[in-house]
Amino acid sequence: MLVWGAPDNRSVDDLTKEFLLESLEGLDRMQQSLAELERDPGDAELIGEVFRAVHTIKGTTGFLGFHRLESLSHAGENLLSQVRDGRVRVSGEVIEGLLQLMDGLRHILNLIDMTGDEGKRVDDDDADLILALRSLQEDGGRQNVADPLDWIRALAPEDIAAIEAVCPPPVLREETARTLPQRAGPSARGAAFSSGAVAMELPMSVPPRAAQVLDGSSAGRGAAEARSSAAEARSSAAESTLRVDVELLNRMMNLVGELVLTRNRILQTTSGDAGFAVLGRRLDMVTAELRACVMKARMQPVGYLFQKFPRMVRDLARTCGRQVRLELEGEETELDKSLLEAVRDPITHAIRNAVDHGIEPGEERAAAGKPAEGVLRLAALQQGGHIVIEVCDDGAGISDEKILAKALERNLISAEKAALLKRREVLQLVFLPGFSTAAEVTNISGRGVGMDVVRTNVEKIGGTVELESEPGVGTRLRMRIPLTLAIVPALVVVSGSQSFAIPQSALSELVRLTPREAEEAIEWVDRTPVYRLRDHLLPLVWMDALLGLKKAEAEGGRSAAAQAGGDGRRDGNLYIAVLEADGRSYGLVVDELLEPEEIVVKPLTSVLRQEGLFSGAAVLGNGTLALIVDPGAAAARAGLMRRGAEREMAEGGGAGRQHGTAGNLEQGGAGGGLESLFLVFDAGRCDAGAAGVACGAALPLKSVERIETVAYRRIEFAGGRALLQFRGRALPLADPGGLLGEVEASGDPETEVKILICAEEGDVAGGGQRELVGVVVRQVTDVISGRLLEGNAAGGRQGAAAESQRRGLAVLNGRVTAIFDLAGACGTRLVACPQEVI
Amino acid sequence: MEVAGWGRRQDGVGADEAGAVRMMCSFRVGGGLYGVRIAKVREILGPTRPWDVPLAPVFVGGLVHYRGEILTTVSLRVLLNLPTLKGCGSVLVVDCASGCYGLLVDEVVEMVEVESCCFEEIPATAKEGRKRLFCGVYKRTDGLLIEMDPERLDPLRLEMDAAADGLGALPVRVV
Repeated sequence: MLVWGAPDNRSVDDLTKEFLLESLEGLDRMQQSLAELERDPGDAELIGEVFRAVHTIKGTTGFLGFHRLESLSHAGENLLSQVRDGRVRVSGEVIEGLLQLMDGLRHILNLIDMTGDEGKRVDDDDADLILALRSLQEDGGRQNVADPLDWIRALAPEDIAAIEAVCPPPVLREETARTLPQRAGPSARGAAFSSGAVAMELPMSVPPRAAQVLDGSSAGRGAAEARSSAAEARSSAAESTLRVDVELLNRMMNLVGELVLTRNRILQTTSGDAGFAVLGRRLDMVTAELRACVMKARMQPVGYLFQKFPRMVRDLARTCGRQVRLELEGEETELDKSLLEAVRDPITHAIRNAVDHGIEPGEERAAAGKPAEGVLRLAALQQGGHIVIEVCDDGAGISDEKILAKALERNLISAEKAALLKRREVLQLVFLPGFSTAAEVTNISGRGVGMDVVRTNVEKIGGTVELESEPGVGTRLRMRIPLTLAIVPALVVVSGSQSFAIPQSALSELVRLTPREAEEAIEWVDRTPVYRLRDHLLPLVWMDALLGLKKAEAEGGRSAAAQAGGDGRRDGNLYIAVLEADGRSYGLVVDELLEPEEIVVKPLTSVLRQEGLFSGAAVLGNGTLALIVDPGAAAARAGLMRRGAEREMAEGGGAGRQHGTAGNLEQGGAGGGLESLFLVFDAGRCDAGAAGVACGAALPLKSVERIETVAYRRIEFAGGRALLQFRGRALPLADPGGLLGEVEASGDPETEVKILICAEEGDVAGGGQRELVGVVVRQVTDVISGRLLEGNAAGGRQGAAAESQRRGLAVLNGRVTAIFDLAGACGTRLVACPQEVI
Repeated sequence: MEVAGWGRRQDGVGADEAGAVRMMCSFRVGGGLYGVRIAKVREILGPTRPWDVPLAPVFVGGLVHYRGEILTTVSLRVLLNLPTLKGCGSVLVVDCASGCYGLLVDEVVEMVEVESCCFEEIPATAKEGRKRLFCGVYKRTDGLLIEMDPERLDPLRLEMDAAADGLGALPVRVV
């Protein structure tokens, strides 16, 4: 139970906020120092750093009135001052105690941050910690510390002489007098010394000169110099830096963007004056520089993130009983602040995996001829427009057999498929949701958060994840992350007289085809257009058809192309942007290519994000607004299959998910040979024989856009077709089971009818778009994963998705189930008017 | 000064508040005069033509660039089942619980004072789907001014409402 302080104490004022920030930063440094101290227990500078962090907290809490914090930090400070003065030796226990102290302090600081109060607990657990610290101090004084006279033994003869010269004889204690002669020889005999609590007593009991001499003695000299220079560096850094709210930087970024646009407009309106053009260019330069500066201000070295990990690795290694050495590399590499936060969890997870599952226990390593101590390397480096973060270990690696066995056990893959997988593909299985190779679930990793989450998180910020592993040698997880989220190099294209931006990261090449060339070069696989790109068939997707842009134009959509200086399709050339996204490559056909541009990404409201097709919007240099196309989502929408087909398994959970686009729901099917999800439904009475129509009972989940329940009265009939008004269009309804007739017969117009809104690939080149068709069903029974029967699953990468799902049979739950023929329903065979049915 | 809840359909007008005056920003859509409380209007952008968003929900009137941000606009013409405007409209930048959005109207008329004594509920015969967009109606000498509820016009809310009542509430664009 918490007992709060006075209510007026709750709000965190500016002073306290400042104190919190400073203290937490101090604790971060302390953590880093402690980790280093463990490796190098003698480093006086590190001890000083830790001492200062705690001391600063103690000093400030006094007048802010945080007594709990004060007493805890006081206990810590006492121990630390003993450590600093060499009276307590830095041992594992001391480090452990200091880490606990740090956690305790952090806990209280966080409490203050959240509640404005340090939360005086009734069952105050600080007392234990304070006691522990005190006992460390005492034990340390008694046992851990070296013979207090060691330092005297270490003194050089000239130091001793110097001390002798300044110290009055009576200060020397008997014991010292006995020790000293053996070391220092007769010259020191009779000299006066204070021993035991050397640094504690000396400054008080000996004249300043002696202290100075001692401090400057060969033992203390180096440390003292290092300390003072470090302090200098720190103070100068504190003077030349200041803390800025990220929110403020975001705002500045926006204003800079605004400035660019205003500049452009000014230049356009007053282009006549030559002098003005010069001014304009100057303005241009200043603006560009300003933007670069603001961008730079958002960058932080990854070291900020990395410094949390030594502690984590240490704790993990202890818990798991491993010996692990963490090596950090490239800490100075800079990354946008927001991205830094975004990669924290993936890295944490990767490290957990490496320590828990990767690096073997000492004996095992020894048996394998490796040093008992495992090495975990965390490295960051910049590569072009990306930051690469690697987590490598020299552990056991991931064995194929284990992965396959686990995947089979979890039903993630069928035995036949498993036999065909290559090593690389086997590794990819690790990214499947619900996969965990840990033989036993430990409390470190294996909480159900798997590599799929790592991958999802990294992909969310536009990055990629690769996994390499060599059994017995080690594992390497490589994350490629864009430098910044805010600015993306992109190619601006025009389609259907609107501008769109395609991120350069997905763009592999551009192909231009004149109308004559286009006629020859574009070939057809059934109804799917393809282009031969160096002897590979590249499926083509017309952007305007994909986005339904023709319609927009007809409705008077604004001509961006006209503004940009050209009319769409003016030259009649076709441009193919060859895109690589989510493991599929395809050609996006656009009308025109404009300049590549560094665009400032602006988020879209969630209402617009639901389509998933656009990852944001950007205002281009000429003031035009361009939507940023997500190449992966566009491919999914176009029905292109993914080679690997894993991630969708995670996303395909709910068939009835509202607003789910086909892209989101797409299930991997043909390419990787994995199972895909099917929506099983009851279509009512089924006279399959009648017209040779297999009125199947299942549909690939990816083709189902949503499930609607509507009142029968809303279904209209025109020209012998049942239609439903949906998204401003008349949606043709297929009624394989004659359910509409049944409802009509029942005579109640309010009877609810379930309709699966399905998308069927249209004739892309003919300007068609994803045609929607509604399928009337009695009820949706289940979502089951299964396989299309071989021979029916023609598709493959190049084949249109439509073809693979066209007609066929699938094995679902061990039973052969007919797949509903959507293409047929889209085209000719439509439901008869109920009047005729009856 | 803000009078909490005043003018909302739920509580109607308290007699004690008779004579209270409220500022409205009035605008025209089709032939009708509408208004939103001035406190909710952040800015009025002059004649603007929003950029189309392919595959967006019907009520989205497009995107406009507003102070370095991209603002989603809601087309009142679509919500009121009117044909889309040829040429430019005006955009009101409106504050709502989830941030702000643009309201695409034909033209902004004026800032006008309305009195609570002229307030009346929306007649029960109004179309159910659209009724909820309105707070009430003010009788003025030169005609009626319908007060719109900025929270209800929030794109997120419109999307939620549309999802909640299925297709029924989704206005269909008439061209």
